[in-house]
Amino acid sequence: MTSERGAAQLESANAIRAYQREWLEDTRQRVKQGEPFAICNGDEFEEVFNIMDIPVIVINYWNSIIATKRMTEYYGDVLINRGYPANYFAMGLASTIDNNPETAPWGGLPKPALIIGGTKSDTEMKVLEIWAREYGCPFFPLDFGLDAVPELPKYPPPPRWWEMMADHWDELIDPRRLDLRVEEEKALINFIEVTTGRKLSMAKLEQGLELLNEQEILWGKARDLIAETIPCPVSLRDQLAVYQAQWHRGTIRGRDFIKAYYEEVKERVEKGVAACPNEKLRLMWMAGTPPSWAKWAEEEYGAVCVASLFSSIPIDSYYRATINGDVMRALASRHMVLFLETPDWRLKDAEIHQCNGVVETANPSIPSFNKQLFEEAGMPLCQIPRDRDDEEVRAILSDFIETRLLS
Amino acid sequence: MRGGERLTSETAFEEIQRHYQQRDLAAREWRGNGGKVVGYFCDAVPEEMILAAGLFAIRLSGDPHGKTDVARQNVIPRFTNREDFVHSILNMLLTGEYDFLDYLVIPHTRDSIHRLYQLIAMMKDSDPSLNLPELFFLDSVHTTFFSGGLYNRDRMLELKESLEEWSGKEITSEALSRAINITNENKALLKRVASLRAAEPPCISGVEALQIISSSMFMLKEEHNKLLRGFLDGADKFPVRNGIRLFVSGSPLDSLQLFEIIESCGATIVADDNCWGNRYSNVPIDTSLDPFEAIADRYHNRSPCSRMYPMSRRLEHCLQNIMEAKAQGVVFNVFRHDAAEIWEIPDKTKALEEKRIPSVYFRNQPYLITEPEPLKTSIGELIETIQRSQ
Ligand code: SF4
Repeated sequence: MTSERGAAQLESANAIRAYQREWLEDTRQRVKQGEPFAICNGDEFEEVFNIMDIPVIVINYWNSIIATKRMTEYYGDVLINRGYPANYFAMGLASTIDNNPETAPWGGLPKPALIIGGTKSDTEMKVLEIWAREYGCPFFPLDFGLDAVPELPKYPPPPRWWEMMADHWDELIDPRRLDLRVEEEKALINFIEVTTGRKLSMAKLEQGLELLNEQEILWGKARDLIAETIPCPVSLRDQLAVYQAQWHRGTIRGRDFIKAYYEEVKERVEKGVAACPNEKLRLMWMAGTPPSWAKWAEEEYGAVCVASLFSSIPIDSYYRATINGDVMRALASRHMVLFLETPDWRLKDAEIHQCNGVVETANPSIPSFNKQLFEEAGMPLCQIPRDRDDEEVRAILSDFIETRLLS
Repeated sequence: MRGGERLTSETAFEEIQRHYQQRDLAAREWRGNGGKVVGYFCDAVPEEMILAAGLFAIRLSGDPHGKTDVARQNVIPRFTNREDFVHSILNMLLTGEYDFLDYLVIPHTRDSIHRLYQLIAMMKDSDPSLNLPELFFLDSVHTTFFSGGLYNRDRMLELKESLEEWSGKEITSEALSRAINITNENKALLKRVASLRAAEPPCISGVEALQIISSSMFMLKEEHNKLLRGFLDGADKFPVRNGIRLFVSGSPLDSLQLFEIIESCGATIVADDNCWGNRYSNVPIDTSLDPFEAIADRYHNRSPCSRMYPMSRRLEHCLQNIMEAKAQGVVFNVFRHDAAEIWEIPDKTKALEEKRIPSVYFRNQPYLITEPEPLKTSIGELIETIQRSQ
């Protein structure tokens, strides 16, 4: 299984990749055949749609499909022609305004039953309202969506907050906000039932959320194996490809994908399979897509990116225990706070993955969120101006590796 | 202003201007006399409660001409919305220009404002030697539904409790009613200013009106009422203004620059939909209801700010005010990275086109206007278009 260039792609990751394509096509067909479908912001409600078996297009996912089709520039112009800014979040809106089945991904989306989104940012609330109007469908706004600040009764967040997220999330989230959010989500479920004719029950919801938690726990176990095993058994590319299983959370399929992933990682560890047999140094890459210079760094220095911004999100953020039997509250809590972007959390990931250094892209004119804390903790951090495998980036990385990691 | 002296319209206006320019004047005086000062952002914080608590309320504004160097060293990367304004305010807070604040109420409004809470809280935590006021986050929802209204009401109750703690005394219903009467009178007087400004012909300019309205947020309300009464006493002698009638919509304006530029072209800004302008006095508090409930209600249902859902309400509000003021043209002004405002302009422009009201759109504007000429040219063209169609 191991070649010169390291282990082959994970079968479990390939299965997820393949299913994602199948899912996209299946969803497209279902939607085409007139099944009600929803447009929803990522991480804000889609597990409920999954559990209700309603096809849902997650906005950030749809935007990434548009980006993959290299339509962002074109749609940016569509927005500008309408007097709007060429905003990435509004790419879906642009595809609807453009209304051109010839060029749009999937031949364009038909009319959704509803659009759901948060009021969490100046942009999101407006774009979704406009989008719904373009379609002539309802927009259901939810207050206190993901990442609204300040979320906590108290700032700054407690140290090692991620250790509280699973079982003590109630201490991290403002209970007053959560009360309202639960009410709004109940009202939304009623609204979805009325608009789509589909039903939700507590039994189904509970089952879905249990599957979701199982999925995240298995993911956490796989993360632990990756973090503690030298050389790293799974390439960052595969780790990140698996992430698409997150869109299927709350379903048996979603859980089984990650179960297979965990078992495959375990098997690799037992057999001593390395993603990069030449591994000499371990890096954490502060992004959510594999770095373009990964191959070069591996071949040149045996420097392997073993962790990313997504490494611990499943286990540190998605998993929620039900507290006092209140399932709706546990559900809404995830929609309100997924994680808190604090440098100590990222440092923890670099440390548990036994990294020698960390690489981030940074705008030199903005002070780094992470640099001081990382350096003080003895974790060298390298800033590159962009993620491109070019001479300048290679020179910065070479200098960093040679002077900070190898000397 | 000496006690007992009868105010002429001119002296009243001079006094108003003085407070507009020296925004900390009244607050510092109050504090000098042993009183406590509560700063706040936006027109989303109930001044009535602050008044009823016997505290001085002052709305914070930035200074487009001010420095930003100290703030820039402290701002975390997530601040990209209206960063010039945010930097200006932070700089003032960090360099002692707001050192007279005992407390600061930050509402959950547009991103650039509510994020200040987190940032200032972090700064206070990391450096306790910084002379920063005690903070209160006035949470609220951005939807205007019934359940959200209940949520906001509960947060207002918490604010009331904090104010009671700060002032060391209970806020009674009587005190709230008294405060409501004062602010309602203020709003009624400001409405008279608004109608003189929108009269045909107008006899108050936009530049004057903005100073008159905004100064209400920097002064003791009773004092402001007195000045307003004195000012309005001479209304029959105000010289009338000719020229094209314009309406200004867009980003919040805490300085006169834009209005000065527009009116220097010979137009009069007969109305606006700004939270430093007419929107501040649009909706009085219902005195037939329980005073606390009436306050909570008013702030939940006040004239829509650009951070509120739905946008359709904003559009209606803007159009209605344009029509009522009989504006002949509209200027849209949106600051750089003002995401709350930017998505509304195309709808508004379209609605105006249908009504055959011409408009210009200044987008990506800096907080400090350093190049007024291109703006003047556009205004000149707008005026010409209007004149040609007459
Ligand atoms: S428009 Fe902006 S500045 Fe004015 S009240 Fe609303 S959020 Fe605050």
